[in-house]
Amino acid sequence: MKLDLHNLFGSSASKKTTVLLWLSVVFFMLSFSGAASAQKKFARSYPATKNVRLQLTNRTGTVTVEGWDRPEVAISAYLEKPAANIEPQNLSGTIVINLVKDNQGRGEVGAVNFLVRIPYHSSVDIETKMGNLNVSNIQGNLVRAHISTEGSITLLNVLANAVSAENGIGDIFFDGEISRDGNYRFTSMRGNINLRIPYESSFKLVATAPSSRNISLGSFSNGSMSFGDGRRVIGRVGDGSATFTVTNQRGNIAFIRR
Amino acid sequence: MNCEQCQELISAFLDNDLDDKDSSSVQTHLSICAECAKLCEDFASILNFCLEESPAEIIPPNSQALWCRINNVIESEIKQDAARPETLPVEAPGNWFSRMWQLSLSQFASAMMVIALLSSLLTIVVIKSYSASTFNEDFAAQTEHAPGVVEKLLGKFGLVDTPQQIRLRRIEQQQAAIEYWNQRVAARRTQWDNNLREAFDRNLNEIDRTVSEYTLILQENPQDDLSGEMLDSTLTEKMELLREFSDL
Repeated sequence: MKLDLHNLFGSSASKKTTVLLWLSVVFFMLSFSGAASAQKKFARSYPATKNVRLQLTNRTGTVTVEGWDRPEVAISAYLEKPAANIEPQNLSGTIVINLVKDNQGRGEVGAVNFLVRIPYHSSVDIETKMGNLNVSNIQGNLVRAHISTEGSITLLNVLANAVSAENGIGDIFFDGEISRDGNYRFTSMRGNINLRIPYESSFKLVATAPSSRNISLGSFSNGSMSFGDGRRVIGRVGDGSATFTVTNQRGNIAFIRR
Repeated sequence: MNCEQCQELISAFLDNDLDDKDSSSVQTHLSICAECAKLCEDFASILNFCLEESPAEIIPPNSQALWCRINNVIESEIKQDAARPETLPVEAPGNWFSRMWQLSLSQFASAMMVIALLSSLLTIVVIKSYSASTFNEDFAAQTEHAPGVVEKLLGKFGLVDTPQQIRLRRIEQQQAAIEYWNQRVAARRTQWDNNLREAFDRNLNEIDRTVSEYTLILQENPQDDLSGEMLDSTLTEKMELLREFSDL
């Protein structure tokens, strides 16, 4: 009997390839299903009233709030395991989501990443113990973002009468317009605070960076500014109708022309 | 919500007696108004102090025995007064008062000169203080209560507390509140997940480092008001961080 070594090796190699291919497909499917089971999705929407206010308190995770041109509030969230309880409430126009309250007494709770879409003219009040906060395209009365510990705050295309951003360790970036008589407060323990506002903005300023002494006013600097020993800058830009209070304990402050 | 409305609701807010709407309005106002936030903090500190203070520390250990002792002391003093012979002539209060105002011409002139000197000095000081505050922008004065020259002067004479004394007292209050929240956090932190615990510790270390830096600066230069203000704000942040994590 003549042994066809070439055929034998050829068929063996193709078998191996097929087996490997199947194994990789199974492995991929398993890993995909694992990832899918590790995250749970939550979605809910509400019809928007005239004055919408979002009040969201997260434990850990990223919160993204976007303004849109629809009379609807759409909340979607991806919950990591162990999944948190979410019980949103609609209290006459105020959407309240409080994950701290909803999960009080529970030990470990997985991060929750929110994406909330609300009408442009809504007020936004969001906070988290840890994680990033992003707000964009909002022209309501108030925008407040507060991180108890670590995380960055990004406020893009925001025009609100009162803006407050506060974090522990992390950057703060504000890119928006200033309303007349508005109140703007940015506070960080360590990180960079960058504020991008239109050149024609007018405001009273108290900017304090005691550790770095790095306060860059760029094109907003003028003769009325008092720099003292560099730790604090006090002054007025234009007629000074709005108020800007910026404090960065161990980081830099920069004003950028929009 | 304006400051007046907020201040009316602060007490109920701290007692958690407000409905969600009012509570959120107060929270929003507190987030943008430093003055009301400070008031709220003060209230919270007082509340915490009262909660911490056990009745045993306030009520004397044996009130009946204390009253007996007070009675005994009063009775013994009355007996001593009764036994003392009345040797000293009693002067009518009107005589003493009228004699005090019988001044010679030179005494009267000197008194008037002293009054005139003092009032002109005070006027100069007030004008200087006012012009300094307008120069440094009224907005800065709104955000921080910088002591004026008059206050500093009165403080030097011990008539009012100096900024340093006020600061020390405030730090003591803040430390007491921090101690309270720290105990609550210590009881709960074992339940948090590792990431959260590590983030909390990193932030707390950052705050503590900042507090140490300001404390050091203030030891070298107690007059550094900016460092005093920053220390105050950092301790408030620490208190807030602990309070927020005590809920978890």
